[in-house]
Amino acid sequence: MNVRPEQTSPEHAHVMEPIEHAIRWILLCGIALSVALMAVGLVLVAAQGAGLPRGVVPLADLPAALSALRPAAYLSLGLIVLIGTPFVRVAGSLVIFVRARDGRYVLVTAIVLFVMCLGVALGRM
Amino acid sequence: MAFVAGVFGSMLGVGGGLIMVPMLSLAFGVPIKVAIATSIVCVIATSSMAQTTFVSRGMTNIRLGMLLEVATVVGAVAGGVTAVLIDGRVLQFAFATLLFYVAWQMNRRGGDATPARTGVLEAAYYDPAAGCDVEYGVRRTRLGFVLSLGAGNVSGLLGVGGGAFKVPIMNLVMGVPLKATIATSNLMIGVTAAAGAAIFYGRGYMDPYYAVPAALGILAGARLGPRFAVRLSARALGIIFQVVLAVFALMMLLRGLGFGL
Repeated sequence: MNVRPEQTSPEHAHVMEPIEHAIRWILLCGIALSVALMAVGLVLVAAQGAGLPRGVVPLADLPAALSALRPAAYLSLGLIVLIGTPFVRVAGSLVIFVRARDGRYVLVTAIVLFVMCLGVALGRM
Repeated sequence: MAFVAGVFGSMLGVGGGLIMVPMLSLAFGVPIKVAIATSIVCVIATSSMAQTTFVSRGMTNIRLGMLLEVATVVGAVAGGVTAVLIDGRVLQFAFATLLFYVAWQMNRRGGDATPARTGVLEAAYYDPAAGCDVEYGVRRTRLGFVLSLGAGNVSGLLGVGGGAFKVPIMNLVMGVPLKATIATSNLMIGVTAAAGAAIFYGRGYMDPYYAVPAALGILAGARLGPRFAVRLSARALGIIFQVVLAVFALMMLLRGLGFGL
């Protein structure tokens, strides 16, 4: 997963800012967790020989379905982690802007996060 | 298929959705709303994976991205809520129209934006294809912001990341060089799509049968795409962008006409 600096001209390797480090780290973790969950789901699909499930598990039923080792639950959670990663990325950016005392972008990022969450809330109605 | 979509989407900053929705509904006969839900997941996968490369190269203008995200995410939430209420065939026709419009816009433009220091959201990155550092500032921030509202709305409505609009807005209107535009657009489409995806998940349009293989293919493809975007010349990238859009505009129009819309 490591991205090498430009091989032909190493003197141009970009020095990452704290926010770039944070974003990259959050995204890598989100992707890794999501892929791992989907892989578990696919292994369960293969083990149970029932084919890929045709619907996601609603959030409320997820814990029960996970402990029952239902493949759909692990695939669903993998998708949820993938969908959730940008939320965590924006929240992480907010923390970095707060630490840097960059008031303007604390506000900007907070608005983005708020509207994202608002969207989810509206969609559930 | 998803792998190819991941390569092209991440290379052009448009998210695989632009390719995924027509492919799923045309080639695999997936219901349009399930196709859109799948494509939104793909857009997120493209964005997350491609950013790990773009960010470490310093190509993403994170502050510009966050600023325009305010506009696009507001528009997208409005669009995402309406999408589940609108007829699938109307959506398809709207999609075809959107693709034609963007392809036409790309065709009209000449070369890349000329980088100029404006004192607004300035950034710099190293362009291996040109062999030099590119320093640039942002122009017409307010106009770009307003247009991004519209781009966000369209993306929420149609399940595309909206990158097809964001790239021309940043490049043509705001004077951001194409490569920085692609990287920044790629960052933004993930945010817009995540808000939309959560809604589609809640409404039960998400189908793991399509979404899981597609997401895994996209993740693999989006490892590769940014490398092309970094190394190719801006001119070549622009031409590829145009061709991809034109082909799919044509496909969707044929589909729309077939339905007698």
